[in-house]
Formats: sequence, C-alpha cells, structure tokens
Amino acid sequence: MNKSANVITHDVIVVGAGLAGTWAAMIASREGVTDVGVLSKLHPLRSHSGAAQGGIAGALNNVRPVPDTGPRGPLEQIPPGDDLIDSWELHMFDTIKGSDWLGDQDAIEIMVKDAIDIVYTYEHMGCVFSRTPDGRIAQRRFGGHSAPRANYAADWTGHVLLHTTHEQALKNGVKFYSEWVALDLIVEDNVCKGVIAMEMQTGQLVTMRAKAVMFGTGGYGRAWKITSNAIANTGDGVAIVYNAGVPLMDMEFVQFHPTGLYQHGILMSEACRGEGGYLRNKDGDRFMEKYAPDKMELAPRDLVSRSEQTEIDEGRGIGDDGQGIYLDMTHLGREKILERLPQVRDIALNFVGVDIIDDLCPIQPTAHYSMGGIPANANGQVIANAAGDPVVGLYAAGECACISVHGANRLGTNSLLDASVFGRRSGYAIAEFIKGGAALPEIEGDHLTRTQARITRLKSDPASGKGENWAKIARELKQTMTDDCGIFRSDEGLRRALQKVKELQGRFANAHVMDKSNRFNTDVLGAIETENLLTFSEVIVSSALARTESRGAHSRTDHTKRDDEDWLKHTMAHKTDDGTPELSYKGVNIDWEKYPPQERKY
Amino acid sequence: MTNKKITVRIQRFNPDTDQKPYLQDFEVELAQGMTILDALHLIKEDLDGSVTFRRSCRHAICGSCAMNVNGQNMLVCETPLREKIDKNGQITIRPLPYLPIIKDLVVDRSSFWAQYQRVKPWLIPPDNVPEKEFRMSAEEVAALNDAEHCIMCGACYSACQVIALNKQYIGPHALLKAFLRVLDPRDADPRARLDDLDKGDGVYRCHTIFNCIDACPKGLNPTKAIETLRKLAMKRQAFEAARKERQKTLDKPVN
Repeated sequence: MNKSANVITHDVIVVGAGLAGTWAAMIASREGVTDVGVLSKLHPLRSHSGAAQGGIAGALNNVRPVPDTGPRGPLEQIPPGDDLIDSWELHMFDTIKGSDWLGDQDAIEIMVKDAIDIVYTYEHMGCVFSRTPDGRIAQRRFGGHSAPRANYAADWTGHVLLHTTHEQALKNGVKFYSEWVALDLIVEDNVCKGVIAMEMQTGQLVTMRAKAVMFGTGGYGRAWKITSNAIANTGDGVAIVYNAGVPLMDMEFVQFHPTGLYQHGILMSEACRGEGGYLRNKDGDRFMEKYAPDKMELAPRDLVSRSEQTEIDEGRGIGDDGQGIYLDMTHLGREKILERLPQVRDIALNFVGVDIIDDLCPIQPTAHYSMGGIPANANGQVIANAAGDPVVGLYAAGECACISVHGANRLGTNSLLDASVFGRRSGYAIAEFIKGGAALPEIEGDHLTRTQARITRLKSDPASGKGENWAKIARELKQTMTDDCGIFRSDEGLRRALQKVKELQGRFANAHVMDKSNRFNTDVLGAIETENLLTFSEVIVSSALARTESRGAHSRTDHTKRDDEDWLKHTMAHKTDDGTPELSYKGVNIDWEKYPPQERKY
Repeated sequence: MTNKKITVRIQRFNPDTDQKPYLQDFEVELAQGMTILDALHLIKEDLDGSVTFRRSCRHAICGSCAMNVNGQNMLVCETPLREKIDKNGQITIRPLPYLPIIKDLVVDRSSFWAQYQRVKPWLIPPDNVPEKEFRMSAEEVAALNDAEHCIMCGACYSACQVIALNKQYIGPHALLKAFLRVLDPRDADPRARLDDLDKGDGVYRCHTIFNCIDACPKGLNPTKAIETLRKLAMKRQAFEAARKERQKTLDKPVN
C-alpha cells in the first residue's frame, strides 16, 4: 500500500466484503498478489451473504428420497456403492430451466461443475455443515432442483460460509477497509483506474488507485418497500459502474421470494418448504395444486410468488390488508424445526409473535434477488458492450454481477454458489492479470473534486422552500416500484413508474441532509444511497417496459407469453449523455443440441 | 385508534463538537409491531438526520445493531419497542458500554476485533485433506453449534466486567471462537491454541459473572465454553493425543 494525501494505492482493490469479494481477495492474495485492499461499507462480517439461510447447491450425492416413497418422500443417506441420483448435468438442466432459458449455458456449466469442489473446499476450510448419520454433508430439497442438493448448516448456511471465508482472508493478510464507502468508479478510455471512496469515521474522500478493481457489492432489493434485503443493499456498485459508462445487463429481472415475513419482508428460508412446509390461502387450501401440480410448493420462486400474488389479488389472502398467505409447518414437528430451522423459528417469534411449531406463519412475496447487474464473463471480467469487449482492469462477481447464470430467475441455493464460484474465479483472473505485468494507470481527470461537490451540495442549505428530505424521496420510490414494477407488470404501470422515477430524480437535485458534520455521517450516506436507487431504478423500469414478453421473474399482464422469437436475448443498458438509458441486446449462449428452449412447466 | 406517544431518549455525542455525552429526547408514536430500530429510523429520517447508529440486516444475523437499552445490551432490530417502555412512557438508548464512542450510538470495536484475530479464528487443517468432506458425527457438530452461531455483535464483550477494566483480556466472543476451533475434530493444532489461551489474559481472567450469557441476543453461553477450555487446558496432552487419534479416521464414516 502507498499512501499520500487523499490518495491510496494498491495492486488490487475489492469493493464489497461479502462472499464474492472476500473469495476474490483471498484467492488473489494466496496466488501471490500481496497488496490487496478490500473496502466495505459495513464491517465485512455484516455483509448480506451472511443472511442466506437454506444452503449452497452442489450435486454431492449424499442423500436421496427413500426408495418407493416418491419424489416428495423422506430423505436418507445414499448407502456406499448404491446408484447415484444426482449429477452436475442434472443441476445444469435445472438451472437452465429455472432461468427460463435466459441463463448463459457456458457459464452455468462452469458453475455447476465447480459447485462440488467449492462445497468441499468450504468444508475443508472449517465450515460446520449439518451432517448425515455417517458424517457426510447434509442435503435438503430446494425449489426447482430435481434432486436434494442444498448443502446446509442448519438455516444459517450463509453466516457460516461468510465467517469462514473472512477468516481465511485474514489469515492471508488481506487488508480490510472497514466502513469505507465507494462513491464513484474511475474509468477512462475503457480502462478502470480506481475508485473514489469515503472513510466513514472521518468523512474524508480518498482516491484509491489500483491496477485492478473488483466489485462484489451485492444486490438492489432496497428499491422495493417489502424486501428481504438488508438496509445496506442499495445497489451502490451497480449504480456507480453505470455512472462510469459501463452498461448494466438484464436489470428488469428481480426475483420476489415467496416467503417473506408478512409486512416485514424478512426472509423465511425456502428450507421451510424444502423440509416439507405447505402454503395455504385464507380458505386453508394448498393452492399450489392449481399452479404447479407436480412440484407443488417446491416449484421455482418466480412461479410460487406469482401464484401467491394471484391468490391475494383474487381475494384469498390473509391479514388486515389481505396481502398475506399462510406458511404451514405445524406438521413438521418440534424436533425437526428446532434442529433444522432454528433461525426462522426465532424470526417468526420475534417479529410476528408466531411459533411455527404450533401455528401458521403469515408471509408474503418479498423483493429478494437481483438477477441483473454488471455484465461480466465467467472470469469475472466486466464487459463494455454486447460484443464482449473487456473494461480493462474491472471485475465483478456475486449478486451485483450478471454473468449470467440465473437468467430470468434464480434457483434457491444457486446464489451462495454463484458468489463463491465466480468470486474465486475472479480472484484467479485478477492474480493472472497483475502477475502478467499490469501497470498502474495514470488518472487524467479530477474525479475526487466532482464527487466532493455532490456531498457539498447535499450539505448546503437549500434555497428557501425548495429543499426536501431524501428519506421522503426514497419512500416514494419504494412505493412506486412496489405498485408498478413488482411481480406483475404492464405497459401502463411501467410508464407511470418511469415518469415517477424521473420526477423523483428531479426532486433529488434539491434533496439535502440535516447532518452537516464530517464524522460518521450516515445522513450523507443515506442520501447517496437514495441517489443510487434512483439511478438504477430508471434502468430497471426502462428495461422492463421494453421487454414485451413474460419470462422468469419478469411477468407482463399485457404480454403473458414467453417470446423466444423476439426476446431470447439479454438487455444491455448504457447511460447516455442526457442521463437516460439506451438499450441494446446481447445474444444468449445456448447449446441448441443439448438444451434448446422448452416450455417451462413444473 | 390514536397511537400512544412515547419518549425515546438517545445518548448523543460527537467528539468533534461535544464536551461530553448527553441525552436527547425524541417523541415517537408507537405503532403496532414497531421495533426499537424502527423508532430510530423514524427519528433519523423525520426528526434529526444527525442521530447516528449502525444497522443492516434487521433480523438479528449481521450483528451491527447491538446497543444498550435501559441498561441492557441487545440487538435493537429484533426487540419490540413496546416491551422496553418504562412506566413513564420512556425508553433510553445508549451505545454499548466500555467502548470508545465514535459518534452517538456507534462505538469503536477495535479491541474486540483485535482479540478475535488474536485467537486465529481460522481452522488449521490436518496435513491429509480427503478428496471429499471430512466426516463428522452429529454429536461433534452439535457441540459446535453455539459457537458457530455467534454473530460477533459485541453485546457480551461490552457487558463483561473484566473487559470493562482490562482490554487485554481475550474476551467472551473470542474465547467462544477459540472454543469453536479447539473442539473441531478437523483442527490440527488445538494444543497450540490451548497453550495460548491459558496465558495471563486468557481463560483464567473470566470471573464467571455470567454477564455475557445475559447479554447474548442469541442465547449462547460463552462462560460454559470458557470453562470447557479451562478443563481442556489442564489435560491438554491427553486432549492432543485424542485429537491425533480422531484425525486418523476423519475420512471414514462415523458409524
């Protein structure tokens, strides 16, 4: 590290200390790139990877349904020497089908093959997984997976993976900048040169120069009112990259998880259904019979959330506002719940006062996962256009990236996998780039001054009668995205949303903060996060408006069918000079022999 | 139905401008299902944007929001506001005690993290790593469950009377982490860990006051883990031998 006034230099700067960023830093450092700095808006262990609950996918073949009990029968460990039931090929097909054929099949193949090794690697690094009777890693069912391949540690799998990975990075001597916020990315002539960051404790802005920058900044669910996402998940990385002229891909694809806690949105793991839980409407009916007679509650999330929303819209919801559905786990028994679902039991007890052992738990769909993001190839290399030209020195992985392995809809347990596998691959790619003699690029423009001016403007006293609280703008945005860019979308609603987002962007020009101090100014941070929400929400709505079909999590009431003829392609959105997104499209990597598009039924 | 108004007293302190910490009162309408964190957000967003606190996941897994409410350490995200209002309609929120204040409810956990690093929280694997997973029994996993579940929020650390006087003490959080590694059948060097832990600022500094247990929002028991470590330190040779024996069968089915 090299430090002078307002400038810090590293070989590699990683932004975000969740699984993707930490893996990249850990691998790069292990591969001999010793000068790695990781910036994190929060202390690294607060990252939202730690909130993942149900498991990480990988076809380990440790368990199977008891023979002759059918696909939903109880699970047992596979006796040594018996036929295996799972394979990476099956995992691959499930992921492609889950993605509604929008996932890039070359990248998916890499992910599912790596899955098996990465789960064992986690185990070797010290993760305490739950176990089968003979001591192998325990596996459970998850939606859209045709075999039980969710490898789990009770229902705090993400927590265990995150802590273990962070420990390994510390062991390798990675330098963490805890509570440092990236505000802007420096890209000049298609070469990434660093970031502008703010140290929270002092409020000081710093230019952080590097030969390579990697983003693992997470998702953007905080643009919605009801969300499972942490308060910090404001899509900062996605917005920053877009502002720097890098495109965003497939932003219209946002997954709503079927079981967010009613009125809170907090995640009640899919493992609740994986372990056998039912969904019931206000009449007590297991309504999934109508929508996915084969997979029932373990259909993929997009389908289950749409089914719930249909029940709600047709008047069969529960709760004061009729917006809820019941999650029924009362038949699972105390022992199973305490052993395998202790965290979700506590969540339901603490937030809605329901003990899931005895009572029905009210839930509702909740904005959960961002399939879209920063376009990158399978080495985490960010691309500048549909032709796949690289942005030199810029990498991305995890939820902020769009590789694209999840296409139009992600399967549960594939996100911990995606963040781990492509975080690791980014680490190797970055190490190769640095060791191949990458130079530290000179920065031409005065980026820091521009960023500083934004903050100074937020802190200045507004002209009388014109100033507005940023929090009010954020609330209106979340309401708009919920009302008009949610599970079901239409031309009319999306146009309304686009108009509203632009109005809010206009109003943000007069938004101000109350806290004028430099020290740990979370008021300024909240305002900047709101600006980021407004920036990428315009891309989401514009991309959704253009896509006149229904595919995966993008469901149009005015275009209800998937349209492979016109829309089997990725959306790319570039920011134009007047600030509006310009859309172009990129082909999907498909193996037409092995995995051609099919009708998606469950 | 009109909502009841309550008074939220927040300890304020910006070391750049304030001589010493002081309490400031804010009035909030108590809504149904409101958590203490919800109240803090309302205050920050609508009344005074300079009120400063940490938070993120808002469901008790990230460990950001441990604070001191009415004298007790807790996670404010999972605690209903209603439960903590006293008979005068008040609730008092202070930062975690015994730690330097950065601003308002945000504390400096540097000593906390330094102790976490000091115990080398990472697993030290044996030389022979199997192609697939190490085999562990359900009992071996169960013994680690508590320690594995720790979210590093610091509630125990800042409730510990020993830490209050002596920041050299490793502390309940880091000892619980050490317990996780010492007890893990996959860890190849529990002996070195135990040698370190029974030095002056290690396991014998714990005065078994049990504050850590009371403070832990996850219901974990660091005191018991520390007692276990003491016992193991006393018979460390036998423990080391048993571990070596166990590691010979780590690639074999457990039953």
